[in-house]
Amino acid sequence: METMTTIIKKTPMYENHLAHSAKMVDFSGWSMPVFYNKIIEEHEHVRKYVGLFDVSHMGEIFVRGKGANSFLQKALINDLDLLSTGRGQYTALLNEKGGMIDDLLVYKLAEEEYLLCVNASNTEKDFLWLQKIAEGLKDLTLKNASEDFAQMAIQGPSSEECLEPFSSYKTSKKLNSLEYGEIATLEYEDGQAFYIARTGYTGEKGYEVYMPKSLASLFWKKVLLTEELTKVKPIGLGARDTLRLEACYPLYGQEMDETVSPLEIGIGWATRLDKAISFIGHEAILEQKEKGLERRLYAFNMLDSAIARSHMKVFQDGKEIGFVTSGSVLPSLGERGGLALLNISLLDEQKPIEIDVRGKLKTAKITKKPMYKAKIKN
Amino acid sequence: MTYPEELMYTKDHEWLRRRDSKARIGVSSYAVEQLGDVVHVDLPSVGTKVSEGEAFGTIESTKTVSDIYAPCNGTVIAVNERLLDEPEAIAHNPYEDGWLIEIEMEGQENPNLMTSRKYMDYLQSEH
Repeated sequence: METMTTIIKKTPMYENHLAHSAKMVDFSGWSMPVFYNKIIEEHEHVRKYVGLFDVSHMGEIFVRGKGANSFLQKALINDLDLLSTGRGQYTALLNEKGGMIDDLLVYKLAEEEYLLCVNASNTEKDFLWLQKIAEGLKDLTLKNASEDFAQMAIQGPSSEECLEPFSSYKTSKKLNSLEYGEIATLEYEDGQAFYIARTGYTGEKGYEVYMPKSLASLFWKKVLLTEELTKVKPIGLGARDTLRLEACYPLYGQEMDETVSPLEIGIGWATRLDKAISFIGHEAILEQKEKGLERRLYAFNMLDSAIARSHMKVFQDGKEIGFVTSGSVLPSLGERGGLALLNISLLDEQKPIEIDVRGKLKTAKITKKPMYKAKIKN
Repeated sequence: MTYPEELMYTKDHEWLRRRDSKARIGVSSYAVEQLGDVVHVDLPSVGTKVSEGEAFGTIESTKTVSDIYAPCNGTVIAVNERLLDEPEAIAHNPYEDGWLIEIEMEGQENPNLMTSRKYMDYLQSEH
């Protein structure tokens, strides 16, 4: 009998994480730091100062060549014609039924040259899907660079100051004037290209950096050397999750999967039904829009002392009306709460809901999204 | 991490402090370290029967929910109410302020309880 061995992938920062006494967990095949000390302290550190996250498990796919624009217009829901060179946008891949294959960021690096930043758990699936759509397009090159690339996020009010060590590098855009959504192409000392984009997943001002693996460890160290000035600290994925939850950013595998549509999770603003080239899933989304949504994502705060977790059932007046997609303590709000996919017509938003927390019904109330107002454009 | 000598321990990382037929129950500093930050505790009310090896409550960290298992049979006679408002006391001081429940023990004593020395050997063998 053949033995299956699973190889857990390590990012270039693995040894650094251990040196910072991180608790490592398996996250879609990668050994990643969930926390270094305490998730709540790390969460608050990002809101107050700045944090450095290793997010090298995320995937990077390059699309280059003649026809790249029209190919991606077909594959992605947002409109690339609204994007100028050196900018990125939030978008998604849908199946024909309008279900979410993945949500991602796409950057226009040059005419007919794009970088896609996709979820770790979906990288392979996305790449196969894109290859299928690209069949027959001879001038197009799709490259899954995920194994060769590292990715880091610098998030928090002092994030800009963390980029100071890179200010002398040759760059397509000045780092200190980078606007939200913009991406700069930089040249490392040895001539290798890397990218710094003003974006993030925490609700704070910040950057995501895409770089060849060989640069990662040095980049990491250079950012941490600004600690005296910026108070930057390594932050685990646990805090990344509570930060994004407060800002009500959906997470693949929690708020969405292939049975959930972009309209249901509240990203209708990125779903461009009016663009020149229709995206795959357009018909299904149009139909859903015309018929009206049955369910959508709501934010809730607990009234009873309990924490609701994903998959827990939600009730109102004894009727099951949906389920929790994410739940946690919300450190910056001093609340416990989360997100839930709920039936719109069965829900009375003014009345409390009940959540089945391991057999006991706990009361919660619907609250406004986002629970934490993002400061990304500060 | 410390494992006071006057306590007995289980493989699930609970501790037991005996005083005649009564026992105080909590979780070890090893368990606390595994949890990260404790954000919520669910405990039974006074009068509830607990059975050896069965879950009587839960401790939640930001990321996970962990069951707490009873180290022996008995009836709950006191609950650490302070933890409802201040669950982090478990992490700060798991053997004193962070105790969970007190029970009146019933029936035979659990033969699998470990001394602190044995528990430390057990932790070593697991890792």
